[in-house]
Amino acid sequence: MRNLINAEFLKLRTTRAFWAYVMSIVVFVPISIALSITVGNDQNPLTTSGGIRGVFSAASSGLLMAVLIGITMSAGEFRNNTATPTFLVTPDRRRVMTAKVLAGAILGLVLAAVSAVVTVAVATPWLHARNVDVNLLSADVITPIAGALLSLALGVIFGIGIGGLIPNQTIAITVLVVWSSIIEALLTGFVPEVGRWLPTGAASALGGTWTIEGGLLPFWPAALVLAGYSAAAAAVGTHLIARKDMT
Amino acid sequence: MATIEIHGLSKRFGDVTAVDDLSFTAREGAVTGFLGPNGAGKSTTLRMLLGLVSPTGGSATIDGNRYADLHEPFRCIGAMLETDAFHPGRRACDHLRILAAAVGLPATRVDAVLEEVDLADVGRRRVKGFSLGMRQRLGLASALLGDPKVLILDEPANGLDPEGVRWLRQFVRSFADRGGTVLISSHVLAEVAQTVDDVVIIAGGRLVVQSSLVDLANRSRPGVRVRTPQVKALHDALNNRGIRAQLVADDALVALDSTPEQLGLIAAGIGAVIYEMTAEHFNLEEMYLELTAAKGALR
Repeated sequence: MRNLINAEFLKLRTTRAFWAYVMSIVVFVPISIALSITVGNDQNPLTTSGGIRGVFSAASSGLLMAVLIGITMSAGEFRNNTATPTFLVTPDRRRVMTAKVLAGAILGLVLAAVSAVVTVAVATPWLHARNVDVNLLSADVITPIAGALLSLALGVIFGIGIGGLIPNQTIAITVLVVWSSIIEALLTGFVPEVGRWLPTGAASALGGTWTIEGGLLPFWPAALVLAGYSAAAAAVGTHLIARKDMT
Repeated sequence: MATIEIHGLSKRFGDVTAVDDLSFTAREGAVTGFLGPNGAGKSTTLRMLLGLVSPTGGSATIDGNRYADLHEPFRCIGAMLETDAFHPGRRACDHLRILAAAVGLPATRVDAVLEEVDLADVGRRRVKGFSLGMRQRLGLASALLGDPKVLILDEPANGLDPEGVRWLRQFVRSFADRGGTVLISSHVLAEVAQTVDDVVIIAGGRLVVQSSLVDLANRSRPGVRVRTPQVKALHDALNNRGIRAQLVADDALVALDSTPEQLGLIAAGIGAVIYEMTAEHFNLEEMYLELTAAKGALR
């Protein structure tokens, strides 16, 4: 299994697209911080707990990119036909998919850790300049960072599962973007009691953003909901790929 | 020891039968040409042998084991199936490093196989700049990573220049001469005729003949050529009676190992109109050419 996980990391590291995704995640973080601090949120000014959480939620701003990386890890193998050599050297496709999920989880944690470091490095001096001093060990900082670690790791796994469900990478990415930015956004906006149970709603609760005032799930239930979606997607995606005829 | 055995193998995709009760063997130390018109079911057969497609029935084994049940399949069989099974933005050596890493082979194997296929100079280039011939060689390098005893090559000569074909021919020949088993598919008999020891010919997913190349050229079989507007009905009637028949044109078929008397009775039985009927001896090589030329008539 260790060899297979190494191979998955090697697959990622040896393509330029992967590094472009990583760069964009790193670039998103300061943009997200800038928006929280300058535009802000009238209901959650920087002097409040909610305001601080909103700023530090930048640590999970790479969530969508993390899901896209997950999709390229599974569906990308079909796009480039590399699934054939992959399954030739390892005919047990469930082991290949398990390795992808484990590598994806580690990758998500690393991406979140990098995002967290950038967040702290950018947000702390900026807030200080605005005369807002934050205690880095307070729940308002720790919670969104813990949420970023969880949601990015689960997000990559979710993407791997979606890529298994929809092996056409272009369609998989389109479905994901339409679902998360249109359908789910509308549901969350108009029917928050449904929206908070959906993947993006749960991820928002973990990250510490306050898109639905008082409407999001608490931290741990949200983590369980998101873990459930990721596990279900990965399980169904693995099952479909294991049965697929590689013609 | 490494013998490939295909036994009663079948594959249906929905309503389409791609491979139909196919049986043949490929022996070690020999190059076996796997021939048939495009769409005959060659690739599907090879993919079933390699565990990429699951058979509807029958078995495909190497020394009695299914590919998926082999302990370390890459050490036993190397396969080259597609010319575009690479991420275009990845360096050639990285493609091989990934496959080697997945099964714990040392990185030195990567350099060794690049050397073996004459790609050592361009190993650090990205695959998107590779010519078709270079991609074929990289595919072959992937197949050789585990230093296997069996090589499976699907239409390896497609898109190769004459120089590349010559190189491949020598490579395959020496692999078999060292005791390896080679199964190499092609839709052009002439392409592999200089390389192979044995031939397996399939059409419409079914076995037409398995023989040594020498026998194929020399052996002729008695048969009857029939021209009739009800060619399909007659074809089915012959198959039902166990007589092997091949459509060779829209209105003609050839029934092997049969006599005009038999054919006449069967045709009368289904009320088929006969325009023309000749007893002939069929040279199998000519038959193959005829079959491939008439592939429009084959499904």
